[in-house]
Amino acid sequence: MTLLLQAVADGLQMGLLYALVAVGLTIIWGLMEMINFAHGEFMMLGMFGAWGLSVLLGWDPLITMVPVAVIMYGAGVLVYRLLMQRVQRGEVFTQIFATVGLFFFIQNGAVAVFTSDYRFVGKSLLTGLSGTNLTLGGVRVGVPLLVGGLIALAIFLALYLLIDRTDFGLALQATSEDRDAAMLVGIRPQRMYAVAWGLGTALVAVAGVILANFFAVYPQAGLSFTVMAYAIVALGGFGSILGTLLAALLVGVVQSVTAAYLPPAFKDAFVFGSYILIGLFRPQGLFGRF
Amino acid sequence: MAALAALLYPIPFEQSGYIYYETVGFLVLLNAMLGIGWNIIGGWAGQFDFGPNIFFATGAYTAALLSIHFGWNAWAGLLGAVVVSVAICAAVTYPITRLRGHYFAIATVAMWMIAQPIGATWELINGSRGLFIPVAPGKNLVHGMLTMEFPGRGKGLGFYYLALFLFVLTLLGARAVERSKWGFYFRAVHDDQDGAEGIGIDSRLYKVIARCLMAAVFAAGGVLYGFWALAVFPDQVLEVNWNILPMMAAVVGGLGRLWGPVLGAIILIPISQLMTATLGAGPLAGRGIDLIIYGAVIMLIAGGRPNGLLSLPWARWAGRLVGRAPAGPAKG
Repeated sequence: MTLLLQAVADGLQMGLLYALVAVGLTIIWGLMEMINFAHGEFMMLGMFGAWGLSVLLGWDPLITMVPVAVIMYGAGVLVYRLLMQRVQRGEVFTQIFATVGLFFFIQNGAVAVFTSDYRFVGKSLLTGLSGTNLTLGGVRVGVPLLVGGLIALAIFLALYLLIDRTDFGLALQATSEDRDAAMLVGIRPQRMYAVAWGLGTALVAVAGVILANFFAVYPQAGLSFTVMAYAIVALGGFGSILGTLLAALLVGVVQSVTAAYLPPAFKDAFVFGSYILIGLFRPQGLFGRF
Repeated sequence: MAALAALLYPIPFEQSGYIYYETVGFLVLLNAMLGIGWNIIGGWAGQFDFGPNIFFATGAYTAALLSIHFGWNAWAGLLGAVVVSVAICAAVTYPITRLRGHYFAIATVAMWMIAQPIGATWELINGSRGLFIPVAPGKNLVHGMLTMEFPGRGKGLGFYYLALFLFVLTLLGARAVERSKWGFYFRAVHDDQDGAEGIGIDSRLYKVIARCLMAAVFAAGGVLYGFWALAVFPDQVLEVNWNILPMMAAVVGGLGRLWGPVLGAIILIPISQLMTATLGAGPLAGRGIDLIIYGAVIMLIAGGRPNGLLSLPWARWAGRLVGRAPAGPAKG
């Protein structure tokens, strides 16, 4: 029983980190329906940002989050303006093609600059706390992961309020639902897309900064998280931000419970298996609007 | 003329001994063939399939097992592999056709993710240790073509023509499907699924048929690759490139056009192979310079011609060159 409870607790914490990676994707893909294969590469850049500033200037990743968010917002807008805005004129598949190119470009750019060696953020507030645990009814909760998870939760709620409760969020949703109608009421769709790319990119880079506290930093770090993030957004359902959060928690729990009882090689397979199973009963995802 | 060029392509390299270029030709044909297969579900039926490589793997493994345990000839193994892959495809695809659009796409990715640990741990296929295909060195080119076993030096040439044969077969098959009832149903499901259902087309059935046709092509490609590599390893046949390259070939050439994936493969594969060969070595080896440039080229093509290269007015240009009126699409 304790094993199960422990696995659930671990899974929830991991789920919050997944949520953080998926939240940027839920804007670009879930809301604006644009495909971005290079999503994980922006996360990887965030991880290198955390590592680089920690080595060069001794900054803590918790501080690095701010400059990384600002810079990567600009990078996201730039990617949209220079590349995706043109690509949008063609078939949807061209977005895949273009972002696969972006993926090669960024990932190998990182290989060229940093090589493929594993790097770790040595000294940070969160890694300093490692070993500190809270114990609740026999269940251990690591403090660093808990703090990371809480940051994730805060960002998530802020974004939820932004998208669902402000005029700006409504304008974003209107653009994704009906571009022409949005133009008629004075919304500039391309500007909305650019902002969405900026936000999505900044958020996933921030996720990378937080993850750099817990995971190795290397140019290929993004892929496994991205694949998981795509499954999470689809599981949560398109256009639903809270759906993404709940799906991420579910994925974390499924993964850690399966890993506790079954051969660990299959933990991802069970996550994707449950996606297909749930899809058979809820083809629109758990909370999808379309 | 294109056919003649394809037939004669390897001859100068065979004469001069630059066998590497025969391998490039082999990979172009293999990916063009897979791209045509992917175009059936992706281009005509309009369903995002990000995980076709599970059928590539199924094909490679089936033929390898048949060869190892029952001593089947490669071509008999190829038929068996196609049958097995199509059966598996039909069984696993029908349930997920309930899902539409992005949800369907992620379900195909999910199958790929599930296949990976199975491939790495299943004892029947020797897990991550892989299967080795026992081949005796063939006697000559003709004997090789019949068994996919070649004497040492003729292998590059032999597999080039094997790939060419399967590629032409795929192309003719796809052309027949394009002009058949199925082809129109696929496009009807793509353009307007609800409308297609309204006139009595069972959209789920035709999605399954489209994906099974793709699975057959990928299975045949997998067999060819397995006998070429002489071994089947799970991380090789389930590699992400077998998902991405055929799809990219179709998109860059022109999605939904019969010759699109062919043009795409002719452009994409040699660029990547030649850049790996030239830039991948030397002082900056291992730094991924070739892939950085490759990525930039891909972005340029995508941004410059979002509807694929076959959307360029080739016919008009050709017409101007020979000084007469345009004569329909570039190639038939």
